[in-house]
Amino acid sequence: MELSSEDNNLTEKFLPPIEQESDVELETKVKKYLRGEGANLETLKDKKLKTQLASREKLYGKSAKTAAKIEKWLLPAEAGYLETDGLEKTWRVKQTDIANEVDLLSSRNQYDIVLPDFGPYKLDFTASGRHMIAGGRKGHLALVDMMSMNLIKEIQVKETVRDVAFLHNEQFFAAAQKKYAYIYGRDGTELHCLKERGPVARLRFLKNHFLLASVNKSGQLHYQDVTYGGMVASIRTGKGRTDVMEVNPYNGVVALGHSGGTVTMWKPTSQAPLVQMQCHPGPVSSVAFHPNGHLMATSGKERKLKIWDLRKFEEIQTIHGFHAKTLSFSQKGLLAAGTGSFVQILGDSSGSSSSHNYSRYMNHSMVKGYQIEKLMFRPYEDVIGIGHSMGWSSILIPGSGEPNFDSWVANPFETSKQRREKEVHLLLDKLPPETIMLDPSKIGAMKPSRRKEKPSRGEIEAEKEVAIEAAKSTELKKKTKGRNKPSKRTKKKKEMVENAKRTFPEQGHNNTASKKRRIGEDAAAELPASLKRFARKN
Amino acid sequence: MGEKRRSTSKTLGKNKRRKGPHLPNSILKTIANEKRPLNSDEEDDEIDSDDAIVDLYEYEEGVPEEESRKNNRYDPVVNYNYELPEDFEDENVESDDDDEGGNSDNEEGEGDDVVRHTRMLQAVTGMPSAAFDGESKRKPVLFTEAYPESEFNPTRDVLEGKGLLTIDELMAPIEGKPGFNELEKRISRMQKDAQAVVHAPLPKPERERLERKAVKGLVDKEFNKWVHMVKRNREAPTVYFNQNVSLGYSTVGAIASEFQPRTDFEKKMASVLNDNELGEAHDEDGAKLLELNEVSVEDQIKYRDHIAKMRSLLFRHELKSKRIKKIKSKTYHRLKGKDLKKSAMGALMDPEMAKEEAMKQEARRVEERMTLKHKNTGKWAKRMISRGLNVKYDGTRAAISEQLQINATLSRKMNSTNDGSSSDESDDEEELNDGSDQDTPSKLIAKAREKTLKTVEDDEVPNSGLLSLPFMARAMKKKNEEAIEGGKRALEEYEEWENSGGEENPKKTAVVSGRRVFGATAKVEAPKESRKDSDNFYDNSDSDNDTEGIENNDLGAVRDTASPARNTGAITETEFDDDVENPASKTTFDVALFASGSWKKMKGCQNAETKKKLKKHVPYSKGQDKKESRDDESEDSESEAEEMVDGILTSASKETYEIPSQAELIQRAFAGDDVVDEFEKEKQEVLNQEVPEPEKPVLVPGWGQWTNIQKKRGLPSWMVREHEDAKKKRTLDLKTRKDARLRHVIISEKVDKKVEKLHTTTLPFPYTSKEVFEHSMRMPIGPEFNPATIVGSLNRPEVVKRAGVIIKPLKFEEANPNEKVDDEHPRSNQKQNPKKGGKTGKGQSKGKSKQKTKA
Repeated sequence: MELSSEDNNLTEKFLPPIEQESDVELETKVKKYLRGEGANLETLKDKKLKTQLASREKLYGKSAKTAAKIEKWLLPAEAGYLETDGLEKTWRVKQTDIANEVDLLSSRNQYDIVLPDFGPYKLDFTASGRHMIAGGRKGHLALVDMMSMNLIKEIQVKETVRDVAFLHNEQFFAAAQKKYAYIYGRDGTELHCLKERGPVARLRFLKNHFLLASVNKSGQLHYQDVTYGGMVASIRTGKGRTDVMEVNPYNGVVALGHSGGTVTMWKPTSQAPLVQMQCHPGPVSSVAFHPNGHLMATSGKERKLKIWDLRKFEEIQTIHGFHAKTLSFSQKGLLAAGTGSFVQILGDSSGSSSSHNYSRYMNHSMVKGYQIEKLMFRPYEDVIGIGHSMGWSSILIPGSGEPNFDSWVANPFETSKQRREKEVHLLLDKLPPETIMLDPSKIGAMKPSRRKEKPSRGEIEAEKEVAIEAAKSTELKKKTKGRNKPSKRTKKKKEMVENAKRTFPEQGHNNTASKKRRIGEDAAAELPASLKRFARKN
Repeated sequence: MGEKRRSTSKTLGKNKRRKGPHLPNSILKTIANEKRPLNSDEEDDEIDSDDAIVDLYEYEEGVPEEESRKNNRYDPVVNYNYELPEDFEDENVESDDDDEGGNSDNEEGEGDDVVRHTRMLQAVTGMPSAAFDGESKRKPVLFTEAYPESEFNPTRDVLEGKGLLTIDELMAPIEGKPGFNELEKRISRMQKDAQAVVHAPLPKPERERLERKAVKGLVDKEFNKWVHMVKRNREAPTVYFNQNVSLGYSTVGAIASEFQPRTDFEKKMASVLNDNELGEAHDEDGAKLLELNEVSVEDQIKYRDHIAKMRSLLFRHELKSKRIKKIKSKTYHRLKGKDLKKSAMGALMDPEMAKEEAMKQEARRVEERMTLKHKNTGKWAKRMISRGLNVKYDGTRAAISEQLQINATLSRKMNSTNDGSSSDESDDEEELNDGSDQDTPSKLIAKAREKTLKTVEDDEVPNSGLLSLPFMARAMKKKNEEAIEGGKRALEEYEEWENSGGEENPKKTAVVSGRRVFGATAKVEAPKESRKDSDNFYDNSDSDNDTEGIENNDLGAVRDTASPARNTGAITETEFDDDVENPASKTTFDVALFASGSWKKMKGCQNAETKKKLKKHVPYSKGQDKKESRDDESEDSESEAEEMVDGILTSASKETYEIPSQAELIQRAFAGDDVVDEFEKEKQEVLNQEVPEPEKPVLVPGWGQWTNIQKKRGLPSWMVREHEDAKKKRTLDLKTRKDARLRHVIISEKVDKKVEKLHTTTLPFPYTSKEVFEHSMRMPIGPEFNPATIVGSLNRPEVVKRAGVIIKPLKFEEANPNEKVDDEHPRSNQKQNPKKGGKTGKGQSKGKSKQKTKA
């Protein structure tokens, strides 16, 4: 074993530069899959544990390395990108220019569906990006297969539709209508009417927890478990009406944007908000979360767009002169903002994952008069769907989607059998609502220590020491009439020390006494009623 | 020895005393002899005795004292150790031993004497026997030299003094006798041994310590050999117990090679297969095979007979089946006849027959019209419809629709059969088609009006028969009036339609006809509508084929590049108008306006339009400036938008363009003024709630306020101190909060009880530090998060063992203690050795296998 590893080292040293580069690349990937550093085992005293943990770490390393290699060699597709040379700027590139360059399949993703009658459209994609639900304000619901561009089903509910959301797959979708929210099946049949929520303004589905979250007109946040229909939580936000709601995909925390410029984050198991942030001086118009859960983008009506780091709750960047009605992060971290009939795509120009600097990446202006209602990147495609007042459109944004899909996570080419299998697995892997927290990686760790109510024994001892020392070191006054005799002084000092000691009651003694009493009480409690009078009384 | 004897004598004496003098000595002796073989103890005697309690007490006190102190029976080790040298000495003097035996024999007699003596003393002095115990105790010592002094019985002085007898002296008389040399040698050897000084044994604890030390060294050495094995097993993440288990046969060939023919048939086959001659013949050219293939005459005859029999059987069976096939049932014949009739009608019919047939059919038709037999008015049909079964079951629905079909064909107006060859149905269709082809809707309306006018006008009342009866006449009149009125209304409607351009009419009919599918009429109507709607744009596309999807239309649209896009846009707009205006489409719930026949087309058109636009612009932009193309696009869309605004869309766009009210604008403008303050206030509130401020110390009224001095002093110092401590604690808590340094953030630090169950309260067993534990928990080990090649080793159990494998105790083997434990799955070590199936697992442990691979 040792020999071979040495050999490896030797070969590493004499690698040609290109391979070394690739090694560096591999190294970063390995780091990603290692999910942080291992513990320092040197501090451990238990040899057995030490060796066990060391072997475990070794396995982890192996796993990470294989995963990195798989990612490097077996994931074939590369992310799209937009490259300009010279003085050209990426944001000057028009959709028509892109259409010339891309292949036929991609160019099919540029289109406008003009449906002028039923008002601004809300969109939602399934996790795989295969299906889209479009909900027109005036009651038009259409379920579309985006791959074949087939209309699967459309219905006219003849009511205001405020929002639409897919449940765990394309078989079900929810629509927030005038009075209640409804759940429909794929074939447009109404399955449930969710009356408890009242008139819902926004709907979001938490995939891992199977919770349908909604905020209604009176600012109440509801969580309903769609597996058994129980209302998991209904929370009064107390911040008034809002229609800005987004789910952090990383931890399932729901964020609401309020008119006071605050963004609040909620979980179903607590009535108080987890976090309240004063993001803007004016009303918050939209919120979006980066898929890795560390970044949040907010936009206020005072024409500012801010990007926040959710680990530190600090503002990273402010983009001035821009007010977004709708915001959306793509899988690869592009940020789309839509106002009026104008779409702006911001890209992270700093390559590193630690620092972020969002700047203009692409622009797209719709036909004048089209009011953008909703932007949403289509997963696993370099496409953004735009729901607007005249129907919906789709444009190409190179480099927005994840190029390689994991069929265990989301499969755009899913067969019905796979879908059923997946559904069962999803249900088995369903997370309970209490797992929603700001840092879900803390699950399974030690309970965070509460603030101490009582000082520990050691602390008391220390305090006692200090008090005694203080008593000993106090200077006595000089007294007259024989009261300044050394004997008297020592006596006095002793007394003071005794007093100082007395303030700290003997701990051990107390404990034993109480224990004794408890034993006696227990005995008394165990005796039958008729014999209780004979129990020893303390 | 002397002491022991004394004790026995004493107990004996006691016994004697207790038993009293009335028993003669001889009898006592016999009793004692009888008892002795059983227990050989004095206790039996004691049981026999019927003495007083006092005596018993005496006895009890005496025995434990003696036995615990003097009698060493219960401590054999010590006794042995101590006695060993003495025994050795005793061995030398054989005569002594004999002597002793003799002594012991005599002892009883002696004892007797002693007893008698004491009794005598007792009688003389009148004192209790205990007083003479001392004497009696000393006496046995004296008794050892009870024999009269002689040369055979030297006194003790002689024994201990100068006249010591040596072995040499004893040996002297037998010198020269046979066997003397041998004896001398033995004795000299013995003497030599005796000369070796026997030291006093070491004290017991020390000796034991030494022993332990020696043993420990040995044991340590023995056990140290196992240390590395144990260590390896302990540290191994997995211990395998399924090594070297033979997996049996691996291939079919291996199984087949073991085959042994057992039955006769198998043996026969084997003999043929393994025949060398045959094999050779086969290999050469096959000519020899014929020679080898000998057939006996008997066999041949047998075979021929068999074949003949089978043939005859087959023939008979064939005949039988032919006959059976000819037999047909009544129904079969009836149906067949019907079929024949029908076919005959169609094929070979002379004009007369045809006419007759036509007449017949006409009659049937008339009958149908009279009875309306097939018009869902039958009992069965009514029942089905009333119960809604026609919707539920496909079969029922089909039956009912078939009935309707029959009804339709029969009740349709029949042409005269003059034309002969042409069927009425096709004719009918033609007629309708003719009308539809040539007529514009206005013409149709005109036709309808004419008809109604006619009916309205010629309302003649029959003069005779049933209808001439007065009540019938009245009824007829009434009916007529109604009909006329209806007709007038219809006329009015027709006029209206004509004025409006006759657009709506066909559409309505289409909507109606779309629901009911009645053969020809519907078929005709649909294309008519579409043809009317579509202008030049739709001419090329297969627009009358409703069922075709987007793609088809798409293609059509693309093909038709000549038609201006704007034109189509206009058309679509008008169509939208129509649809929206049409109340019928709005009332349909599920279908909405797009779900009707026109929607799909519409969508296709829209798609086509937009797509085409995109595609069209691509080539333009290539050549031209980007700006220009952009302008172009915007122009197009602008115009479109304008049009939309003109049309139905105004309301929708109004909503999106809503200008915020003044109040709202002001609110928005000044929104930032107090928001931050409010937030800070809120934060303070939350902080106060989560980290409450300590209560201000107050005295209960009346307490501590007796005098002015007390009042002046204020609160007692301990109260103030406590309050200050609490305050300090609060500030500390506030400082340690996560949001202490973030002014714009409030992070709740409330403890969620439901979440607590997701954390551990104590560290799980082997872990001692929280940090190490949490670091080890960071990696998920499930198959979703790890490559398939690693998952197995990540999740392997501590012990891998196949069911039924016997775990044998660890066997010792030499192994390199510095060898590293690697977690490679040792399955690769497992060999498939089918031939040596009996190989049993030798070393069960993992270490064993390792050793093997190393070697």
